[in-house]
Amino acid sequence: MVKFYGLLRRRLRAATVEVAGEDLTVLALLRRTEEQSGQSFMDELLDRETGLLAGTIILINGENIRLRQALQTMVKAGDRLDLFSPAGGG
Amino acid sequence: MNGWMGKIVRIDLGNLKRETVAVSDEMRRRYLGGRGLGVKLYSDLCSSATDPFDDDNALIFMTGPLTGTLMTSGRYQVVSRSPLTGTICDSSSGGQFGAALKGAGIDGLIIQGRAAGPVYLSVHDGEVDVRNASAFWGLDTQKTQKGIQAELSSKASVACIGPAGENRILFAAIMNDKDRAAGRGGLGAIMGGKNLKAIAASGSRPVAISDPEEYKALADRLERIVDKNPVTGKSLQVLGTSVLVNIINAHGMFPVENFRRGVFNDAEGTSGEKIAETLLQRQSACYKCPIGCGRTTRTRDKQGEGPEYETVWAFGAHLGISDLPAITEANYACNELGLDTITMGSTLGCAMELSETGAWKETLRWGESGKLLEWVTDTAYRRGIGAELALGSKRLAAKYGRPELAMQVKGLEIPAYDPRGAQGMALSYATSNRGGCHMRAYMIGPEILGHPVFLDRFSTAGKAELVALFQDVSAVVDSAVLCRFLQFAVGISTFTEMLRTVTGLDFSDEELMTIGRRIYTLERLFNNRAGFNRGDDTLPPRFFNEEFQTGPSRHRRVRLEEMLDDYYAVRGWDRNGAPRPETLAELGL
Repeated sequence: MVKFYGLLRRRLRAATVEVAGEDLTVLALLRRTEEQSGQSFMDELLDRETGLLAGTIILINGENIRLRQALQTMVKAGDRLDLFSPAGGG
Repeated sequence: MNGWMGKIVRIDLGNLKRETVAVSDEMRRRYLGGRGLGVKLYSDLCSSATDPFDDDNALIFMTGPLTGTLMTSGRYQVVSRSPLTGTICDSSSGGQFGAALKGAGIDGLIIQGRAAGPVYLSVHDGEVDVRNASAFWGLDTQKTQKGIQAELSSKASVACIGPAGENRILFAAIMNDKDRAAGRGGLGAIMGGKNLKAIAASGSRPVAISDPEEYKALADRLERIVDKNPVTGKSLQVLGTSVLVNIINAHGMFPVENFRRGVFNDAEGTSGEKIAETLLQRQSACYKCPIGCGRTTRTRDKQGEGPEYETVWAFGAHLGISDLPAITEANYACNELGLDTITMGSTLGCAMELSETGAWKETLRWGESGKLLEWVTDTAYRRGIGAELALGSKRLAAKYGRPELAMQVKGLEIPAYDPRGAQGMALSYATSNRGGCHMRAYMIGPEILGHPVFLDRFSTAGKAELVALFQDVSAVVDSAVLCRFLQFAVGISTFTEMLRTVTGLDFSDEELMTIGRRIYTLERLFNNRAGFNRGDDTLPPRFFNEEFQTGPSRHRRVRLEEMLDDYYAVRGWDRNGAPRPETLAELGL
């Protein structure tokens, strides 16, 4: 399950998407999510040249992918992805 | 003089004597203004023997060299000794009031003594008038501001207390420009103790700028930078600070029911997204702020400001409450009565756990949103159980024999990030000079939000250096004075550039960092003299002894001892947390 928050949710007008497929990288899963939802959103999360935008948070089951293999982290069936575009507060 | 207005007025409310305080160019350069200069002046005037409610105690309202100039510069700082914590305390507020004080011709006001009856101060054209406030005593903050504006000018910016400050509630806020709050530390109670209901400022004296051409170019460049940044240019504008509810909850560190769990099942229902969908009328912004993180909202019956992230949590997850309109109306009530929402909510959570354990016979139940307004209002008036809640969590828990149930550091309640989920934030809370505060070193930046770099939140490595660095930068921003949210878009070199352009002084990044360190160390010196030391640089035992059983922060404890000695070493303090003589010499203290 891929869960969108904040600005992404407003842009996609959806909170969650179930994405079919197993053993994909995060990057491949994001591409598949775009295809499946029919809407692009990667520009909110990624920089074409450097990968993840500063401030983008992608969690797999609550763990930040930056602590694993970032966009190349493998996603397993049943995993939950939380996607947050850069945000702040205090 | 460029940047500063060059006038700080000291007034004794007892004998109405006024004088201009001499501040040397050197002192301005060493402490800037705002928090830094405020703490310096306070330390020179008052000792650690001064009780916050002594007539002699000074309450200092201070702006900085950037106040009233470039973007986000409407803020002001209030400095005194906190009646809640006994530490040195500065409390910051946005709106227009800081810029208005400078427009009125002064950099700051030092208030001592106690008026014989209710008064307010009117600052205009560099002069301070003392006026009768009997007609406003007893009124809430909104009616007070409107009443004083009707008496003086609709253009006056008013900072005032509500009934909570009048009743010397230990966590009374000072409210200005409708709903902006100098909330933390209870400095509103000191105003009440001095019979000072409000300060009004008006005028249009310009702040002299050293390099007007460069100033214009810098202002334009800052606009572009802030607009392009996804946090300041988009997220904060659309969703406000409560965008953090889902983020922090997803990390399993959104404190639930007095920090007993880290995942709130109904976080979505109290999120920034939900506020935007249901209650939001429009965003609101402070003086020259292109961000506009403020939320003007409406419930079925009422309209007001908020809730911000910390308040959503304090009256929400912390109490097991998911009724967003009830949370919002409790926020409105705090604004009107003049109470700090974080301490109010946190104290209620402490009370609920005391009640659940049977330590306190009063019945306050988790999730009981229907009584929120009554509890908040009774606290401001010390009525019924409100008289107990008015103690704040530390005194309340101690009174009922369970001090460990107060989620506080040095007497100030910690806010909406469970320190078990971010080790650097734990160190930041523990070593904060004003107690459990997230604004001294916002380690949530690197540990959760990936700003300015991403760090492993469960690691303690390198956190001591970064906490000290963040504390120093924060002291600079609070002394300039600017909004801390500007830090999402720019760093220290931009602050240096802003100060150079406005004042014409050749500040460097290194000098500013030394200024930050000097301010932080001076605050620490005051606290040391007031009896605070290593033993106070700690957290409630819950964070060392109890683990969450579920969620992404499960099975974690705070490992403060792995960081504290390193932190003292980085700071040049001894093992007991006292600045070493060579450190003081290096900083000219």
